[in-house]
Amino acid sequence: MTDNEKPLIEVKGLHKSFGDHEVLKGIDYSIYKGQVAAIIGPSGCGKSTFLRSLNLLEVPTSGQVLFEGTDITGKDVNIDKIRQKIGMVFQQFNLFPNYTVMENITLAPTQLGIMKQQEAEEKAMELLNRVGLPEKASAYPNSLSGGQKQRIAIARALEMNPDVMLFDEPTSALDPEMVGEVLQVMKDLAAAGMTMLVVTHEMGFAREVADEVLFLYDGIIFEKGTPDEVINHPQKERTQAFLNAVL
Amino acid sequence: MGDFAAKFYQNFIQDNRYMFLVNGLKNTLIITVFAVALGLVLGFLVGTIRSTHDKRGGWTVANAICKVYLTVIRGTPTLIQLMISYYVILVSVNNKILVAILAFGINSGAYIAEIVRSGIMSIDEGQYEAGRSLGLDYWTTMRKIIMPQAFKNVLPALGNEFITLLKETSISGYIGIQELTRGGDIIRSKTYTAFLPLIGVALIYLVIVLFLEFLLGRMERRLRQSDR
Ligand SMILES: Nc1ncnc2c1ncn2[C@@H]1O[C@H](COP(=O)(O)OP(=O)(O)O)[C@@H](O)[C@H]1O
Ligand SMILES: [Mg+2]
Repeated sequence: MTDNEKPLIEVKGLHKSFGDHEVLKGIDYSIYKGQVAAIIGPSGCGKSTFLRSLNLLEVPTSGQVLFEGTDITGKDVNIDKIRQKIGMVFQQFNLFPNYTVMENITLAPTQLGIMKQQEAEEKAMELLNRVGLPEKASAYPNSLSGGQKQRIAIARALEMNPDVMLFDEPTSALDPEMVGEVLQVMKDLAAAGMTMLVVTHEMGFAREVADEVLFLYDGIIFEKGTPDEVINHPQKERTQAFLNAVL
Repeated sequence: MGDFAAKFYQNFIQDNRYMFLVNGLKNTLIITVFAVALGLVLGFLVGTIRSTHDKRGGWTVANAICKVYLTVIRGTPTLIQLMISYYVILVSVNNKILVAILAFGINSGAYIAEIVRSGIMSIDEGQYEAGRSLGLDYWTTMRKIIMPQAFKNVLPALGNEFITLLKETSISGYIGIQELTRGGDIIRSKTYTAFLPLIGVALIYLVIVLFLEFLLGRMERRLRQSDR
């Protein structure tokens, strides 16, 4: 990363309220290509809201979200086009239960006319190999374990060739013995150079993989820095208190 | 037993009286099938408008019209709707069967609309968000992801509505249509026996309903394939 390089995503003065409840109170943040950011903070502090603002699943009350230079909160922006470049992985996987694993992965690119069926399936097989589940291509999601579902969800997002991946607590709904397999896929992805924003409670993962850790608190980025700075040597008492509680 | 045979002969065979049931059944089926088709189209349309309004706002006028429709139809007896259609709104239409199809179709559409809407609402928001986050637009997400799952969830309710409608067409006699129930009634008035014509009519309804349930069960099993 060089300083004169443009950020992949730049957030400026982001505010978000639900009714009277102001959840995000002015967030400024930039992430650059190839960076991995871990977002930590107590439950209900707005981590999901922040992440979901980046692909407009939540519409900001005010402020800007620039994706590759385009303000995606603008009126005449084709948000569907933008979202094709922003992969998202959810805590609850959200696989489509009425489609096979292969169909889950190929549905979007074929519907959108980005790939032909055969091309989409070939790429899907590559991705299934990458997440270690090539034998599940024709299985239905309900026959998979949580860890397998989440790996398929990651493959489904990757099929679109996104420039950035958003993860919202990808391992929080998993039985402990399945957390590792999903984190491993994410580590591989980071190592391959994917830009990632990850909301997580896995401090080990944040330490090992993240370039930057954001501690969200009280609607703002309360503390930010390298994992060593934020997790090992937090400057603020609040950050310290949170880390004491989760570590 | 000889008595039964004689009664049976008198009610169904003599003077080809079974034809009252055959022709009645024909009208019952015509009204039911076309009314269901109309109800499905209307219900699907209204249900989609209502859920689209709920999901992403907008469409205020269309939504308001739909709500009035639902309130009026669900708030008044079907028989009154049928008679108003025949004697007031569609007086110029001479085809009674057509009037019945319209009245029952419009009536059924209101119930199907709410079934469709409840089906859409029964699908986890995460399914919608997953579709949209992949870059699919609202309608593609609805068509490829939400609707197929919603349809599966509401198939029993839709089947129920189909069966209810079939039986409800028995009030078409009130506007002078000779459907199945009226057919049995005519036999009764000719033979002065109530038991056989009415039981006969009841059995025919029952057989049709059982057949419908059989078809629906098969369809449900097919759709449940992905639950394995
Ligand atoms: N759609 C919504 N409507 C109303 N309040 C919401 C909505 N989504 C989130 N909130 C509220 O915003 C706050 C932040 O939520 P969230 O971003 O999910 O927190 P986190 O992911 O950090 O646990 C919470 O108090 C939550 O109740
Ligand atoms: Mg959250």
